[in-house]
Amino acid sequence: MMDIANKIKEIAKKLLESGEIDVFIAWEKGNFDYQTRPFFARTADDVEKIVFDEYSVHNLANFLLKYRDGKEKIGLVVKGCDSRGIVRLLEDSQFQRDRLYIVGVCCPGMKDPLQTMKDNSGLNKNPAADSLAAKCKSCIQPNPVIYDELLGEQQNPGIEGERFARVREIENMDAGERYQFFAGVLSQCIRCYACRQVCVACNCRTCIFDETRPQWVGRETSIEDNMMYHLVRASHMAGRCIECGECERVCPVNIPLMLINQKLVKDVSELYGPYEAGMEYIEGAKPPLSTYKENDPDDFI
Amino acid sequence: MHKCDCNPLVPDIVEVIEIVEETPDVKTFNVKSEKGVPFDVMPGQLAMLSLVPVGEAMFSVSWQEEKEYLQFAIKRVGLMTDELHKIDVGQQLGIRGPYGNGFPVEECKGKDMLFIGGGIGLAPLRSFIKYCFKHRQDYGKIQILYGSRSYADLCFKEELFEKWPGQKDTEVFVTIDNPEEGWDGHVGFVPSYLEEINPDPAGKIAVTCGPPIMIKFVLQALEKMGYTDEQVITTLEMRMKCGIGKCGRCNIGSEYICLDGPVFNLAQLKKLPPEW
Amino acid sequence: MKVLSKDKLETVFNRLAQESDVYVPMQRGEQSGFFSFLTYDAARDEIALDILNTYLPPKNIILPQTEKMYSFRQEGTKVNIEEVYEDSQPKIIFGIRGCDAKAVECLDMVFLTRGYEDSFYKSRRENTVIIANACYAPGPNCFCESMGIDPVNPRPADVIIRDTGNGTLVWEAASDKGKKISDQISEFLEEKDVKLPEAKQCQRQVAYDGVAEKLRDMFASPVWDKLSEPCQNCGICTYLCPTCYCFDIQVKSWGEEGYRFRCWDSCMYREYTQMAGGHNPRETGTERFRNRFLHKLEFFKERYGTSLCTGCGRCIIACPVGIDITNIVDLIKEVDAGA
Repeated sequence: MMDIANKIKEIAKKLLESGEIDVFIAWEKGNFDYQTRPFFARTADDVEKIVFDEYSVHNLANFLLKYRDGKEKIGLVVKGCDSRGIVRLLEDSQFQRDRLYIVGVCCPGMKDPLQTMKDNSGLNKNPAADSLAAKCKSCIQPNPVIYDELLGEQQNPGIEGERFARVREIENMDAGERYQFFAGVLSQCIRCYACRQVCVACNCRTCIFDETRPQWVGRETSIEDNMMYHLVRASHMAGRCIECGECERVCPVNIPLMLINQKLVKDVSELYGPYEAGMEYIEGAKPPLSTYKENDPDDFI
Repeated sequence: MHKCDCNPLVPDIVEVIEIVEETPDVKTFNVKSEKGVPFDVMPGQLAMLSLVPVGEAMFSVSWQEEKEYLQFAIKRVGLMTDELHKIDVGQQLGIRGPYGNGFPVEECKGKDMLFIGGGIGLAPLRSFIKYCFKHRQDYGKIQILYGSRSYADLCFKEELFEKWPGQKDTEVFVTIDNPEEGWDGHVGFVPSYLEEINPDPAGKIAVTCGPPIMIKFVLQALEKMGYTDEQVITTLEMRMKCGIGKCGRCNIGSEYICLDGPVFNLAQLKKLPPEW
Repeated sequence: MKVLSKDKLETVFNRLAQESDVYVPMQRGEQSGFFSFLTYDAARDEIALDILNTYLPPKNIILPQTEKMYSFRQEGTKVNIEEVYEDSQPKIIFGIRGCDAKAVECLDMVFLTRGYEDSFYKSRRENTVIIANACYAPGPNCFCESMGIDPVNPRPADVIIRDTGNGTLVWEAASDKGKKISDQISEFLEEKDVKLPEAKQCQRQVAYDGVAEKLRDMFASPVWDKLSEPCQNCGICTYLCPTCYCFDIQVKSWGEEGYRFRCWDSCMYREYTQMAGGHNPRETGTERFRNRFLHKLEFFKERYGTSLCTGCGRCIIACPVGIDITNIVDLIKEVDAGA
């Protein structure tokens, strides 16, 4: 990884010095060995702080939304899952390919600095094993699908076991059990919207949950409003979720959000596919639920 | 200071007794409670009105008529005000207040007064203007400069064109943004008309309210004309929810608009971050 | 010294729960928080008075995330306020740490001073007993000492408990409310001399002195652009903060009836300052980020005389992008005020 980190620094330095890009998004070290965090380098001096290590877990593609209205050219590092996020942003016309310099890294799986921070904080008596991030254990795409430069050896997917096993388990519950299950996990939600804020698929300029005329979803942390929030968000993810798992990783109350997203990944693929969001960038291509044909069935309306 | 020991976030009930259509998107609502006015209001103070099942919003009280009723001139700009514009006389509303510091009516005594308003910004100024007329002997010359997008958008036309110009030692200047048929008055934005009129700062207090962008240019213009920071007063608007300095959102720096404002003179305003 | 044996804790909770809703630090699955003893389930929960602190702060006990204010009914043009929900159910927060106790003091300043008393808060607060747990071994993200807190002498407190590390808690009543609680459980308190652990200093030290004053000249500083760049404007830091108190007031209605409620809000959200007419004084993420830190470090101190950060470290632990308020204070110390 040191090797990759050095190459990233070399590339960033070259791009910033030549003026090809205005900012390079990578990682820096925080206050602990296990705290790696997003970093925005604008000068060759900044580049010295860049790291790439086993905690470089964040999906940096999301930060592109901060710059979508500007003209800056941006370099950034993406892993397999993150690169699918870039494809999605391009498909949704949220960014222009020629404003990007993409450094792809084949990813062996990452640890989660957030989980490690929590486990070492003294505020959690049930620490997780210091191993790969939960999201990396269901990885199907470790290698970048779009890049200008590719670093590292091709990796095998980190997925353990059958991909939709947990989804099937929930599908097999009866309606009452299923309601109980979701009522249990969603009642924890504190509506911090971190799941939405870190999501590349959540690129609407005004989110439906911020609309006030009318206000579609109530702000109470009641089970009704919480379910409404998560169900509406989930349905907006259909065909758009690239399974980077950031929503679930950052959730401060451990809601199994990827379980909901995976159900939609599975359904969209079965109903309209086979389809996996953001696997390949083809100009003009759209995900299944973003297209319309006149002979689409409408007997359910 | 809240005077009663009741819950300050729970509203009293008032009834709408009259509705006047001022412009295509501004209506004036006269409201009274069983005892007349629900509470006494000084010029420039605020009250939280609720169309109870819809929402609450903070408005400047545009006049208190004796102990009889309160007046609110309300522009249709959002969900709550859309619904307010649909109600009829007889509708009951929730009300709580009064909030905020209000205009410094005492400190202004003996001074000439210059009021500069834009659009719905005349609503809060009107409470002070009418107060001056009511206590005419306490104030010197009164000049009122008011502008809106068009003739139709001018609020309080009867007062503007008939009642106020006839008052003793009073001048009223009205402008609209763009020329239109039938209008032979002044055309142009408020700040530039202000520079044309060029009112002498000696012994004068300028009070302004309007859209944030108008206020910013008016303040610049007044400064250029030699008004000191203490001679210039404005009333600000921020989003408010509680009205009692608890909910957090109406801060500018460490001041809360609902408690410490909404009225500031320019000297006070300059000590605050320019975030309004 | 009055001493309570830890193996009697559950009995004590049961006794106190006869009259009060007792909130106790628990590890519940992956989550730690102050949960009502009534919801304690031995199969799922671990009572955790020995935990450094809970991940979820205890502020919701006196300032619930969602709180009904009053119900109403509208018939035709007539409106009636039906019921006002002021909660006076006695509550005990058992085992709050010094940082979170200080946070309660900050909430008291907001809700009980400066012109108005908030009746909903007041009713709940007056009926809440604070049993504070002295902290002898701060964690890696704790910096309460730098924020003027003495972790072994938590304030405000009705009772202070001190974990001896040997299966006992020293019990010190610190107010009349505390004495009453002590009387309720006197049969479980023994008179005994025990040795207290040695207090360790916070590993993190922050030089907060002078920061509020310096920040007055830093509103327009470009450091905010740089500091806020990684911030994704989620609400985790505000909702896990023991002092963040900002709230929204909203309505839920169906047909002719409904209720008005308030709920936590976050200055990180654009909608927080969005005005109906379209103007928003804090439109950008950077402006919202700046307001949050200025509120914590400068504005609150100007208004109430104390900072709105108590050094609990939760935002440092939970920020998805590793924003660290102690780094920000350090940086503010370093830079030229104008730059």
